[in-house]
Amino acid sequence: MSKLQIITKGIIKENPTFSLVLGMCPTIGVTSSAINGMGMGVATMVVLIMSNMVISMIKNVVPDKVRIPAFIVVIASFVTIIEMLMQAYVPALYASLGVFIPLIVVNCIILGRAEAFASKNGVWDSALDGMGIGLGFTLSLTVIGAVREALGSGAIFGYTFADGVMPLLFILAPGGFLVLGYLMVMFNKIAKR
Amino acid sequence: MKSSLKNMVLVLLLISTITAFLVALVNDLTKDAIAESNTKAKNMAKYAVLGTNDTEATILRDTTCTIGDFAITVSTVVRNDDQTVIGYAVEAPSITKSGYADRITLMVGFKEEGEGAVINAVEVLSQKETPGLGANMTKAGNSLERSIVAKNPAELTFAVTKEGGSFDALTGSTISSRAYANAVETAYAGYLWATGRLNTEAQAESMTGSTIQSDSNLM
Repeated sequence: MSKLQIITKGIIKENPTFSLVLGMCPTIGVTSSAINGMGMGVATMVVLIMSNMVISMIKNVVPDKVRIPAFIVVIASFVTIIEMLMQAYVPALYASLGVFIPLIVVNCIILGRAEAFASKNGVWDSALDGMGIGLGFTLSLTVIGAVREALGSGAIFGYTFADGVMPLLFILAPGGFLVLGYLMVMFNKIAKR
Repeated sequence: MKSSLKNMVLVLLLISTITAFLVALVNDLTKDAIAESNTKAKNMAKYAVLGTNDTEATILRDTTCTIGDFAITVSTVVRNDDQTVIGYAVEAPSITKSGYADRITLMVGFKEEGEGAVINAVEVLSQKETPGLGANMTKAGNSLERSIVAKNPAELTFAVTKEGGSFDALTGSTISSRAYANAVETAYAGYLWATGRLNTEAQAESMTGSTIQSDSNLM
């Protein structure tokens, strides 16, 4: 598999949201607006790239039977460290992305990729895989967020285009499931052709 | 790698020790910087709610008033050149009404005007409301802030409009809006207390205490 393919497969063939259906909790939780979805996606991508690299570095010294607890400890500590560093040195970025960081620890995409890719591949390929899956996640969340924001509050990225009472349902969780379902159908119809 | 009891115990022990050490180390390195940036952000909010900034104004003093278990901090902000008081930035939590998830904390800027006061601006310091609904209270120019800015708090009724108050609730977020109204009321009590218009803490307490009364009536 070429380096480019590792990145592009994360966006289409192994799109974490529409194809692998991983990380559904943050997907429904944060996509009430396009910018929130994008923020969560970017934060996840950064953590995913780094955790994939670390996991692929230690994969040869971790015994098979304890690899999942070992990976979880590594990822959780990693996320905590990133959170503290962000809060201390880039408070502006922390103010906008900080709420998403603790959600990443419990995001199964991170563990899923550690298990499915990083524990079998080299450091650089794992970093590329993190980038591809991260991009796929960011794009999916941004699209879901944009649709929900447009239908539910008549705005995209905070710019209002329609006034008046909008169907609030789309901001709440049930609307999230509806949008996710329809987008998943459309995505698979187009991507699998 | 093949698993044996020995290497499993050893590897888990090593990983836990190393990561615990790293987290502790980073915590130690960053805790001062985090505290500093939090204080700085809070001070910036104090200037912002009074429409000024740290180059033309300073905080003369912080007065803390406690109501029950809650602390209300009133900061007196003065102009740098002539030391005149620009206004008061009050940090206050919602006391009797919690938001949808947790109490919310506001920074409310009061400016004196004639005998009374006007609310200059409001900033949300902490909230855990639903994104896209209650969390919209953090957006500039939201309906809650619009309905009270430049008004005299003495003439406001601290409730949402559908309950006969002065606060235009956020769409679909009446609970969050009630907590917001309550936090503004608490801030006003703190402001009155700090500027000597309420003489004792007991008076400030009874002012918000009356809300507790009406709150239980509602239920």
